[in-house]
Amino acid sequence: MEKSTLFLLILLASTLAYLRNTWRARTLAETSGQKLHSLPGFYGYYTALWCALPGLLLLLLWLLGEGSLLTTGALARLPQSLLDGAAPEQIQLLVNDIKSVAQGSFEGQIDPAIQVAADRFSELTLWSRILLTVLSMTASLSGLLFAQSRINTDFRARNQVETVVRIFLIGCALTAIFTTIGIVLSVLIESIRFFNMVPITDFLFGLKWSPQIAMRADQAGSSGAFGVIPLLTGTLLISMVALLVAVPIGLLAAIYLSEYASPNFRAIAKPLIEILAGIPTVVYGFFAALVVAPFLRNMGAEIGLEISSESALAAGLVMGIMIIPFVSSLSDDFINAVPQSLRDGAYALGATQSETIRQVVIPAALPGIVGGILLAASRAIGETMIVVMAAGLSANLTLNPLAAVTTVTTQIVTLLVGDQEFDSPKTLAAFALGLILFILTLCLNIMALRIVRKYREQYE
Amino acid sequence: MTTLENSTREKPFHREHRSTVGTFTSDNPRIVCRSVDVYYGEKHAVQNINIDVGRHQVIALIGPSGCGKSTFLRCLNRMNDTIPDCRVTGDISMDGIAINGPDVDVVPLRAQVGMVFQKPNPFPKSIFENVAYGPRIHGLATNPSDLEGIVENSLRRAGLWEEVKDRLAQPGTGLSGGQQQRLCIARTIAVNPEVILMDEPCSALDPIATAKIEQLIDELRTLYTIVIVTHSMQQAARVSQRTAFFHLGHLIEVGETAQVFTNPQHQLTEEYITGRFG
Repeated sequence: MEKSTLFLLILLASTLAYLRNTWRARTLAETSGQKLHSLPGFYGYYTALWCALPGLLLLLLWLLGEGSLLTTGALARLPQSLLDGAAPEQIQLLVNDIKSVAQGSFEGQIDPAIQVAADRFSELTLWSRILLTVLSMTASLSGLLFAQSRINTDFRARNQVETVVRIFLIGCALTAIFTTIGIVLSVLIESIRFFNMVPITDFLFGLKWSPQIAMRADQAGSSGAFGVIPLLTGTLLISMVALLVAVPIGLLAAIYLSEYASPNFRAIAKPLIEILAGIPTVVYGFFAALVVAPFLRNMGAEIGLEISSESALAAGLVMGIMIIPFVSSLSDDFINAVPQSLRDGAYALGATQSETIRQVVIPAALPGIVGGILLAASRAIGETMIVVMAAGLSANLTLNPLAAVTTVTTQIVTLLVGDQEFDSPKTLAAFALGLILFILTLCLNIMALRIVRKYREQYE
Repeated sequence: MTTLENSTREKPFHREHRSTVGTFTSDNPRIVCRSVDVYYGEKHAVQNINIDVGRHQVIALIGPSGCGKSTFLRCLNRMNDTIPDCRVTGDISMDGIAINGPDVDVVPLRAQVGMVFQKPNPFPKSIFENVAYGPRIHGLATNPSDLEGIVENSLRRAGLWEEVKDRLAQPGTGLSGGQQQRLCIARTIAVNPEVILMDEPCSALDPIATAKIEQLIDELRTLYTIVIVTHSMQQAARVSQRTAFFHLGHLIEVGETAQVFTNPQHQLTEEYITGRFG
């Protein structure tokens, strides 16, 4: 039987087990006149779990282990001469041939040796399928019978089911955690490989970024310079421009919406502002590159300023627009969280509305607002698409927002785009840049969350 | 028991009677209210209130929950303006000047009529800044030492100076509940008001803190006119000279506190103060 059919069959069986045993538990309680320990549904769930889990676990095991067992079996039929001294890639090619012959999709002349192995492969596949069907059916059925045999009025089905649910929840949480750890470790390990080729001090304190490396041994070319400082200043420069746009606009919009606007206006305006966060960044990117940057350059030409057509200013302005909702939405939430009693207290002293907002409401909400701004900043630092399209690639070490700069994220993109060797410092540099970026945004996020949490405690 | 039932039967004003009984006027009134009505949208929350608030007196507003006493209190410094949909009609005047018109500037009014709330609501600033806030926004102090004088004086009058004089820079939110409430009173009197409104100022406090606040109210009476809303009839009896009883948005009875508590004219007043409802 196909694995998918088997899967559906097991699910069907466990559904039936649920229905049947819910009903059985109910009748049991009625006929024996005793009270069930758990609700009837839990007896149903209990048997359904015992029916489904053994079969599904077996299925999972098969999915993980079957492939390698089958290929090992098939390769054993190949003449030893084909395998001796073969590189892993060549063996992989042989395996692919065997598989396509077995499936009948191989084109061209079939090597008799391969044909033998392919026959073996088909044979093994058939056996494996029969074995899996029999085993998982047996497992499900015996699980079901075992569970049914345990059902009586005193049996604590609810506790058992809840244990299974808890294990499932733990599994979900662990998946997220291990994925994070895995990503961090892989970035870290590749970075360490990079630092073996390029000294970490050169990377952290170097003032020149020019990752041109000879692609072939005989090619003339520089050895490349991997100083991250120009990238960091570029990133911070663009983020700074973005924050200069987003913080005043976002904060003032939040103040208007939460303190002055009528409920009707607020109900319309708030979702509209939040739409800004939903626009794909690539759309912002070509908006920045095709509209804002030329506009700035032309305007600069009018007043005698030389503005590069790919300027930090253009990228920063558009990025600022993009992060307005982060600032305004969070600020709005925190301003609303300031208790009405504080406003009343200020009004009762004869404070005007603007005095109340400036001197009581905003200071009270300030930690939350700062947290929101830091979250927006970490978003700005990690943003890629806008800067790729609008900020350019030249790694200038400058604080002039009118010049072209480049950012950490942009460089990661350019380092990895196209065909690359995976062991050249040029490629590995991307991991080191990723690590830097990760540490930077992590610090900002931790700081922001701490501030936000401290604020929350104040009014709870 | 029989005597009480007899006295109830003899009351001249029965439960259905809804116009104010007792003396609602005062010889030396600071605030005069005539035909005051308050609406929350369609709801007629407070109906046709006529009452005088006497100078340097404490008047207690009592009544069951939702009877409109807090709503009425908030008319006296126009705090109802901050509630959307709330409408106040009628004549309210302080020292002969109307305060309920649309063209009245509420800022100086609220400086004259201070308010203390049910739950202590110190600003998340230092103790000093909490008290200094009012004088600052009204420009009452010309120089820093002046301001320090106002703060110290206000804290002294609120009976809090000795407890906080060494930690004025610490946050006001770190004080105990009773201290916070006295800080709010100090904050209120720092702007030098003439009237202080108190909306159940002791309902969130323990008995000892309550006793301190009650004693404070009695002392403050010599300088200010005080209107206090309270749930506790004992408190009303202890601190006030006049008492007004509200029920379902109507002012049922008003008079000298001793008179209202010992010889209520209206059947509802008697039932409330003897604890038969409320």
